[in-house]
Amino acid sequence: MRYYLFLLITFCSMAAQAEKIRVHVWHQMIYGHRQVLAEVLKDFEKQNPDIIVQSTYRETEELRSGYQSAAMGGSGPELVYGPSDQIGPFATMGIIRPLDEVLGQDYFTQFDPLAAPTYNGKHFAIGDSVGNHLMLIYNKAILPVPPRNSDELIEMGRRLTVDRNKDGRVDQWGLVFNYTEPFFFAPFIPAFGDDFIKNDVQPNLNTSALANTFQFILDLRDKYKIIPKECDYETANALFKDGKAAMLINGDWSWGDYKEAKVDFGITRIPMISGTGKWPASLVGTKGYSLNVNMKSPEHEAAAIKLLRYLTSTAVQLQFAEKVGTLPSNLEARNTDVVKNNPLLKISADIMEVGHPMPIVPEVRAIWDSLRIQYQKVLAGSLTPQAGAQGAQVLAEKQISEMNEVLQPDAGAIVIKVFFGLVILLVLWTGRKSLVAFIKGFNGPNRFAYYMMLPAFIGIFAVIVYPFFYNIAISFSNFSLRTFQDWSLVGFTHYVNALSDPKFYSLFLKTIIWTVSNVFFHVTLGVFLAVVIDSVMPFKGFWRALLIIPWAVPQYITALTWRAMFNQEYGPINIFLQNFLQLSPVQWLSQPTTAFIACIITNVWLGFPFMMIVALGGLQSIPGSLYEAARLDGATSWQRFRHITWPLLLPVMVPAALLGSIWTFNNLNVIWLVSNAGEPGDQTHILVSYVYKAAFNLYRYGYAAAVSVLIFLILVIWGLGMLKSQYKKETK
Amino acid sequence: MLKRLFAWISVLLFAVFSLYPIVYVISVSLRGDNAFQTQSLEIIGPNATYKNFVSLFTETDFLIWMKNSLIISGVTTLAGVALASCSAYALSRYRFRGRNMMLFSLLTTQMFPATMLMLPFFIILSQLHLIDSFWGLFIIYSSTALPFCIWQMKAYYDTIPRELEEAALLDGCSRWMIFTKIILPISSPALVITALFSFMASWSEYVIAAVVLQDPQLYTLPLGLRSFQASLATQWGLYAAGALIVSIPVLILFISISRYLVSGMTMGSVKG
Repeated sequence: MRYYLFLLITFCSMAAQAEKIRVHVWHQMIYGHRQVLAEVLKDFEKQNPDIIVQSTYRETEELRSGYQSAAMGGSGPELVYGPSDQIGPFATMGIIRPLDEVLGQDYFTQFDPLAAPTYNGKHFAIGDSVGNHLMLIYNKAILPVPPRNSDELIEMGRRLTVDRNKDGRVDQWGLVFNYTEPFFFAPFIPAFGDDFIKNDVQPNLNTSALANTFQFILDLRDKYKIIPKECDYETANALFKDGKAAMLINGDWSWGDYKEAKVDFGITRIPMISGTGKWPASLVGTKGYSLNVNMKSPEHEAAAIKLLRYLTSTAVQLQFAEKVGTLPSNLEARNTDVVKNNPLLKISADIMEVGHPMPIVPEVRAIWDSLRIQYQKVLAGSLTPQAGAQGAQVLAEKQISEMNEVLQPDAGAIVIKVFFGLVILLVLWTGRKSLVAFIKGFNGPNRFAYYMMLPAFIGIFAVIVYPFFYNIAISFSNFSLRTFQDWSLVGFTHYVNALSDPKFYSLFLKTIIWTVSNVFFHVTLGVFLAVVIDSVMPFKGFWRALLIIPWAVPQYITALTWRAMFNQEYGPINIFLQNFLQLSPVQWLSQPTTAFIACIITNVWLGFPFMMIVALGGLQSIPGSLYEAARLDGATSWQRFRHITWPLLLPVMVPAALLGSIWTFNNLNVIWLVSNAGEPGDQTHILVSYVYKAAFNLYRYGYAAAVSVLIFLILVIWGLGMLKSQYKKETK
Repeated sequence: MLKRLFAWISVLLFAVFSLYPIVYVISVSLRGDNAFQTQSLEIIGPNATYKNFVSLFTETDFLIWMKNSLIISGVTTLAGVALASCSAYALSRYRFRGRNMMLFSLLTTQMFPATMLMLPFFIILSQLHLIDSFWGLFIIYSSTALPFCIWQMKAYYDTIPRELEEAALLDGCSRWMIFTKIILPISSPALVITALFSFMASWSEYVIAAVVLQDPQLYTLPLGLRSFQASLATQWGLYAAGALIVSIPVLILFISISRYLVSGMTMGSVKG
């Protein structure tokens, strides 16, 4: 009896277990916030025993692209949490749901309007905090009183930028911040007179305000020399934490980090610009929860809404405010002592007062991108501030119209459909005999071969061939931001656009330079080392093993390592150049040419071992008697190389170089990671990285697919040519 | 003599060139918090600490990621080797309609830019509900490395004299027995390389894994390492320590089979 009872209980508890609803939340909270989130979710699960919440951390960009692709396939987490600027694109794509339908109108009145942004008149997200804005953070130990205007900033900055040991390197900076990133630079633009966005959607970049802002940053760097020549977020952060920088421009999310590093810091507004008498306006945004349009069941939806209400509730917001110091979006929470008595939040609220709300329309992405491109060109000295501002406007307008474009099917669409139909019929007609032969082959004398190949070819078909045709279909379609849910074939527009764009040809040229220089170094270094190791060095195996190390390290690790090594201030390459060769440091990553060279160096490092191994293999197949005969004839070692080694090595090296150049031509990783997605100013792209950016950063899927097909065609034509000439040579 | 000296110097120089980035990663992994920023070239600084390695294993899910990566790479390597060795054998030994066409199309697949396949992958995988499962990864990883591996294996089989098989056929062996008992054992250099390529492809792949695997408990090593580079605040010490440990198995693998690499990688054209 007891036994049955036990079974019954187990069964019931299992049934209860099975009924539990799993709700997924994707977020991009930084470490400290994640811990609070884990705590509040545990409480939620306790209160709602039938719901399990699974929270997943994703880096901001990844969250965006991952959510898009998951939602595209009809899945994805029930709730997604992120900065407000992703609302625009998500809502346009139709992958998040208007909250007004499920929460009721009066729900939104309990929040700061900044935390309940509307897009096209509807709420798509609810923010749990307000802020994310930039401010001046200063180290009280170095600078007791912060500057109030830009004149003071410059004066204090110069006083505090010092080279203590007189070795020509600055040991303490007046000001540091991630100034190459437009987000960190944007607050200054309105302080010089004009906003960079008009009526919430139109770019307003061709202004003297923007040109003056460019000039201001250039002056800080070159004239007053109070900011480092290269300074990314990491560098700025580390310098400030180590007490090697007096002032820093950063956001409210960073406070915890500095508290933990025991920096005695104060916060204040970014100083007023003395010339105009206006304050820089930080962008104030919110981070909030949105609801996926794809729900597995009504129960999931109910659970997700329950969770959404819970996570934006006063109690939870206060918990966040208390532990990590965020400013609650809930007005009731704002009025509690926890918030009122927090000195940082008080000043922070002050800073927000002069702030501007973060625009959430999808167009902003194109504006940021144009601003980044032009700004980095100005910083690298290849554009004047005026020309930069003018170019930014033109570029932003172009990118916005490309992004918003919804192509209509034209005559080309019919041509394509007819053409595809004809091709399929033609293939079936001419291939009917082969097809019959193929099917018969499974019973014929060669059936062993058929069965041996079948599994591999099914795999290749599923993973490579089918997606390939899918991609071709996309390349003729209008798949983009505004047609995310339903795209259709439209014609040849993308091909026409790509081929008539001079940019395509300059990128093509750059790709050729990239490929040729890489393969040249790979082959020459590979052959040289192989010959030297094979003929001169003792312990061949040891050297061989040592030199293939670069090949063994995963590419993404290599690329990021080299990026760190090229750092202007801290990279060992520059330190070596300065300390041992007494050269001045090179700004590797902020100048287009040197950045491209840095990518090439990295890729040469990655690729030479492969060629070396191939060459070593080739050398083994050369009979030693040839060399003995040559030696007897008195040939010098160069002559021996020229007349024996090289010609006999050639048949091995040519296919390897062919394959190597295809791989190099299509190498996305190195360029993308070393140059940080084409920096500075999109000038280090090769064709594949350009395509990647067009597709995944600017939502131009159809266009990107078309350029991919063009890359493929270029390679096929070139490969066929190579094979043919090789074949001719061999048969001669 | 001068020539010998020149050879030594250049090989040593390249040894430094190929080793230094690794040394740099070691050096970063031994530094304390945020000591990525240092202006000294010392490898082991005065404040060197094992802390990063300890916290890697105790505070993060590193061991889970390691386990996942080992499962995925193990399965794809097995599948890749099995598929490539079988189909390459057929392509090497049999003449049938469409054979040249197949060989050529295998080569063509190498010309697809990765970006071309990525978008369709995303769509197909989510429609097949292969998100958040290892199956999607098994299929993709073992198939994408196949074209190269098949070429590699075929080139090697081409160098094996046919007389061996003919003799066995006369003795009454089946084709399958010939393949498993005679051909595979003598193809070990090529098999090792194929295994290596399949392993590498899955061990260090990031982009596809990032889409397919969404539950942190299923993360592979590259995904896990990437999560140390949280928005705007990379934990460089942890990242470097992790990167080092991720590279070590591959390094050992490469070094221990470098002998096979040389004999197995002649691209087949001299002989073919």
